[in-house]
Amino acid sequence: MGLPQSSKEERLAVNATISSPVRARPGWLMALGLWQLLFGLGSGVAMGMVASGTGIEVIGTPRLVLLGALGLAALLALLSVFDIWRLAHRGRLIAFVLNLILAAVAGFFTLQEVNVFNGLDALGANFGRGLPFLAVMAVGWLVSGWATGVRPEWERALLLTSRGLMAVGAGALLLSVGLLPGLWTFLTRIVQPPAVIFLAVAVLAVLVLRLVKSSQATAAFGSTSKQLEVIDGIAFVSPNILGFLAFLGGPLVISLFVSLTDWDGLGEASFIGLGNYIELLTDPFFHRSLLNILFFGVVAIPLSVIPALALASALNMKLPGMRVFRALYFLPAVAGVVGVALIWKQLYNATIGYINYALLQLTEFVNLIPGLELTAPQPQWLSNPSTAMLSMVIVFVFSTIGFNTVLFLAGLQGVPPTLYEAAELDGAGVWGKFRNITIPVLAPTTVFVSITTTILALQLFSEPFILNAPQLSPNGPDNATLTPVIYLYQNAFERFNQGYASAIGWVLFLVIFAITIVYFRTQREDGVLTS
Amino acid sequence: MKLRKLGLLVVVLSMFVAACSGETASTTVAPDTTEVSEGEGDSLRWRTRPDNDEEAAVYAGISDTLAAELGIELQYEPGGTETAGYQQNLLTELAAGTAPDVFWLPGTDIADFATRGVILDARSLADATDHSDDDFYPGPMFHLTFDPDSGEAGGVLWGLPRDVSTFGLYMNVDLIQEAGVEDPRELAANGEWTWQKFGEVVDGIGALGGEVVGYGQSSWWGPYGYWINAAGGGFFNEDRSACALDSTESVAGLAALAEFYAESSVVPWGEDAEAPFRAGNVGLFQNGRWATPGIRTVDFDFDVVKLPDGPGGPSNWLFWGAYVINANTSNPEAAWDLVAALTTADVQAQVAESGANVPSRVSQAALDAFLTFTPPANNQAFLDGLSENPTAEGPLWAGSWPEFVSVMDAEVGAVVTGATSIEDYAADICTLTESAFTG
Repeated sequence: MGLPQSSKEERLAVNATISSPVRARPGWLMALGLWQLLFGLGSGVAMGMVASGTGIEVIGTPRLVLLGALGLAALLALLSVFDIWRLAHRGRLIAFVLNLILAAVAGFFTLQEVNVFNGLDALGANFGRGLPFLAVMAVGWLVSGWATGVRPEWERALLLTSRGLMAVGAGALLLSVGLLPGLWTFLTRIVQPPAVIFLAVAVLAVLVLRLVKSSQATAAFGSTSKQLEVIDGIAFVSPNILGFLAFLGGPLVISLFVSLTDWDGLGEASFIGLGNYIELLTDPFFHRSLLNILFFGVVAIPLSVIPALALASALNMKLPGMRVFRALYFLPAVAGVVGVALIWKQLYNATIGYINYALLQLTEFVNLIPGLELTAPQPQWLSNPSTAMLSMVIVFVFSTIGFNTVLFLAGLQGVPPTLYEAAELDGAGVWGKFRNITIPVLAPTTVFVSITTTILALQLFSEPFILNAPQLSPNGPDNATLTPVIYLYQNAFERFNQGYASAIGWVLFLVIFAITIVYFRTQREDGVLTS
Repeated sequence: MKLRKLGLLVVVLSMFVAACSGETASTTVAPDTTEVSEGEGDSLRWRTRPDNDEEAAVYAGISDTLAAELGIELQYEPGGTETAGYQQNLLTELAAGTAPDVFWLPGTDIADFATRGVILDARSLADATDHSDDDFYPGPMFHLTFDPDSGEAGGVLWGLPRDVSTFGLYMNVDLIQEAGVEDPRELAANGEWTWQKFGEVVDGIGALGGEVVGYGQSSWWGPYGYWINAAGGGFFNEDRSACALDSTESVAGLAALAEFYAESSVVPWGEDAEAPFRAGNVGLFQNGRWATPGIRTVDFDFDVVKLPDGPGGPSNWLFWGAYVINANTSNPEAAWDLVAALTTADVQAQVAESGANVPSRVSQAALDAFLTFTPPANNQAFLDGLSENPTAEGPLWAGSWPEFVSVMDAEVGAVVTGATSIEDYAADICTLTESAFTG
């Protein structure tokens, strides 16, 4: 990424300035330094307000997280003041990151203050009224597409029609969804003091960002092209990073901290160190849940992976109607797990379920053979501790095998046909080709399928939660279907033990992580992943 | 390209203004023509957990009416079912500070929410009105007025019961007549409806053979708890501070249930009994009033009879849930007005008409109205449950109810299915549930 000519000239000029004993600092640079100083002091004041509970009342774990974030922001901002004074690029980088976050946070609070997020219901209710006009706009846009490659007079007419349709559609759309009341509501809310302040801060932060990114800043700080690339990279990935921090990274850190407390989800949290983890060591319900999920994994994972491979091999044959079968096998993966579980719940019913009815009919049919008097088995699929987890396995396999089949199928279609042709010339049969070509070539796919299926299996929740209700608790008969995630849910939302639930979550994470590492190590030793 | 960008801009702008432009369909606003009242200008969100869509519509209608009567802007939010995460959503909203001003809680959850300070003690608000605790059944009011600090009932007020329910035995009258057994309703009327007669009726229906069985119940704590209570036992000691599942009476009740399941014609333990009952394969099905709307759709003649009297005399559960006030509501007075208005005899009668519950107010007018909400013809069976020594469901003020139930469910199930002997159960059960009291 090369710099514009003017920037290069500015850099040369600034480099010359830097090398001189006395460096003049332009006014905007002083303003930037002052802004960062203000940023640091503001963060410090906010930190004090949170700590004392004056003006900003946040309790429990969020308070500690907020205090940490504000403290870090204050330190970084003050550091950046020092760097900006020294014309060091690090100051520019810090200023860029901090103001990027400030713009996002202030923008979020502006929208929150004007109640936009609480307006999602209104959005759902009102936007539907504008859909016909949105369709008119879409037609207008399509018409504009037809205006290319036609006679000039047609092109003019089509463009005119297109713009007319889009203008009319846009106007009608805005009016129908409530442009005037919407804007009025927005304006009346935005002039309220908190919203105005947040908006002003957001706008200032954006202006500072533009300044920090400007060519004059590049020249002043003497930033290299590598350093500029870093700033550009941060700008590009910032939506993802902010989303990750807000919805994944942040909650992960918070949950780790919560797991070290006795937080009930509502009040203050007390730090208890590893107390929750130590309690897990002697908790018979947690041990039972681990044993249950171990049994489930040992049975369900091979049944979800091995038949999927065989099925994919069959579906990979060039036979008439194969596409229909591929779609059919994929259907359970498309269907929601809740819907699938509800259907299986009906099938499993011991007294009026179709499975037991089929067993009854089958037995009666077999008993037509003279001399046979078999008794039809009528398993209590869900209410018998010895079959309850097996019932969960069947539903899980039913739900996952289709998706795994598609993954294997995709892998199979990448296998060069020449390999099979060469094997045939060498006299290999169907089994020989499968064993010596298909399985080795599909090894990376198999690793991926195995890992994803393992993760899914160890997080088993929906199946026992739905299949057991309301006759039994999700734990099933004699806790036969109690899983770590079910136990986590019960502690978090039924027993007000958020700290303990977080500890269960982290232990489960470590178990899954360890198994994944074992998978990778094994495959790496076999040369699968490196190949 | 420019055209497309402009189009996209218009769509984004339209979504933005749509989000800002006004009220949703679920919001009800008091009409401007309403006379100025004390609460005018207040705005409240409130939530219940309706048993079905029909009941949700009834609540929405009630919300409209009360908004006009009270001069309060009301937003009614039908909560999801228990399995759809009603409590989970509520807990998350309470933590985030976005929970409704008034919401419904199951009776067993009151202690957890009250001791954590998330629901308001409405005693002072209630005392400023003509409210009387005696207008409601004493069982729920014990828990709703229990002060965890003093350990006594009466000093505080955590809310008012939305409704109550008891167990009844839903009868497939066609099967009973086909089996030629004695009619349980007549036995109950003659005071002869005992466990022995109950067993005879169940076996008689089961003798029809095929897919028909005599009896079915769910396996959660309510149905098996009836057997324990009716034998003269109970889950807890008198002040609910310790387990009483190992008392002689409690153990005898569970032993009777286990024996009944081992020897009689029943839907297997832990299996859904409602579906086979609705399919016409079960003679007697034990469930609460909340099952009535679903059972009204069956195509055979059905009715209800009270639960049989056990060795300890008549027994039943008094199930209930309550409207409570969010401790962080900005309008406590208006919230109390709403709670009071939602629990009047008139409003309770409107809800009870849909069939899923019984009014919680001790009001002859409300009960008379309830009796007219047929089928079943014998609605009196549910009211008998209210008057015949019911045990009110309730939280554990000195322990964790969910933890207690979790252990109890598994151990009771093991006894009924024969996996554990009743002697082993009696020896261990109160040790196993001890952690629910000690934390």
